[in-house]
Amino acid sequence: MIELKRELHPVGGHLDRLIFSFPELHADAVLTVRFQRTLRVPDDGRKYPLPPGLGSFPLRHVDDHGERVPEAWRRHGGVMLPMHPAEALWIRFNAAYPFAVKVGAGKINAITGKRWDAGRLAGGRAQNFLTVPGQSFLDGFAGGKAVTLQFVAMPLGNGHTVEEQITGDAEYGGLQLQVFPLRREKWEEIKRAETDLMEVLAPGPRIHNMLRYESESYEPEVPAMGLGKGGQVEQKVRKHTWRLVDYATHHTSRCFVHLADARAWKAITGEEPPPEPTPVEAYTEAGLPWYAHNGSPHDAVEGSKALARLKTVKEVAEAKGDPLPGNSRVSPARVTTLAAWPDPGKARSEG
Amino acid sequence: MSLTELGRYLRERRLELETSDRDYSASRLARRIGKSPAFISQVERGEARSAPAEETLVAWADDLGLDRDVVLALAGKISADLHETIRKRPRLFAQLLRELQDLPDHAVLRLVREVRDGEW
Repeated sequence: MIELKRELHPVGGHLDRLIFSFPELHADAVLTVRFQRTLRVPDDGRKYPLPPGLGSFPLRHVDDHGERVPEAWRRHGGVMLPMHPAEALWIRFNAAYPFAVKVGAGKINAITGKRWDAGRLAGGRAQNFLTVPGQSFLDGFAGGKAVTLQFVAMPLGNGHTVEEQITGDAEYGGLQLQVFPLRREKWEEIKRAETDLMEVLAPGPRIHNMLRYESESYEPEVPAMGLGKGGQVEQKVRKHTWRLVDYATHHTSRCFVHLADARAWKAITGEEPPPEPTPVEAYTEAGLPWYAHNGSPHDAVEGSKALARLKTVKEVAEAKGDPLPGNSRVSPARVTTLAAWPDPGKARSEG
Repeated sequence: MSLTELGRYLRERRLELETSDRDYSASRLARRIGKSPAFISQVERGEARSAPAEETLVAWADDLGLDRDVVLALAGKISADLHETIRKRPRLFAQLLRELQDLPDHAVLRLVREVRDGEW
């Protein structure tokens, strides 16, 4: 079962989230997913620390705005959120119960770069999923051993997205999630075993939308966005430690998360979109924190050569003679280290 | 429809507030919600011929810090916005209410809207 839980943050903004639960399997089998606004790191060949969370994106049921969204979205079902062109996002995962989570962008697996393979978990060197808990956030495509290539939204149809570069088509866009819970009996074993928790959470500041900019009043004809590759973020995608047979793969839930062009959000929903994203230069010059996640002792997946070979959003834009701003080097002066346990995601983001 | 229960509910709450604040006398309450003291007294004693108008009940509930929907329900009414919601899909809500009417509170409050998964 998937629920869209909507909440307003006490000091403004949204705390909307998806809650995947499997009550037929276990009452503890609950995974929360939130989509975080953030900075787009410069695409300058350098690796950057984890950018902050600047508030959750608002989430809406596609069904609630059925007449104002593309027909394909109605067919897909699911939810939608608004993004500005060239805006980045990261995904926050929160669960105590173990899950395997497949993440796709335009139905291209974000870990392997392969086309979406419904229902199948692959392990070892071909690992095509994330493990939660453990992977508290995912900032981008798995481009290398300890590097992700930031998720950057662009309108579909201009060749910027990973999907278009791999398939030649701008068919799906958006993000896809598929969640597989651990077998009940394995969870019961974990609960019975004693766990020695010695690490302490290092609290971080709660960062809210710091700088607001006026949106352009321009409404794109087709509001669908997809994800392309942005700059490099120092981040490991953790290798799985559970065996594939430990997951209850016959219990699975999936969700299509459509990315709507923020400039069309008001026409679709009647609501103002979030303001334009905070420029990375302004944030960094203000001395505000970035993050590093050093605590994990687990190995990282190798990353996908197929994804590494693709052009970034900046490279596609340059080839079109329409260079993307915001790719000059910045030097984060303040990098806060996140502890591994219990939940580093909370210190990096709101709520 | 007996308005005795409504009257008793409003009176008990007003008297409770009046013990620490004289602004909750019948005459002062009446002035604030735009009615006469006699009207307040009549409703509180359950002697009104018919339920007060929705606007009056809402103002009365707000003034005493009571839940509007509870006060309206005691008066045999539902708020205009709920009325409109039901009116748009009467069959659905009638069926829903009938199915839920005997469930305990905690079961009803766990009604969850699922995200629909389609074809992709």
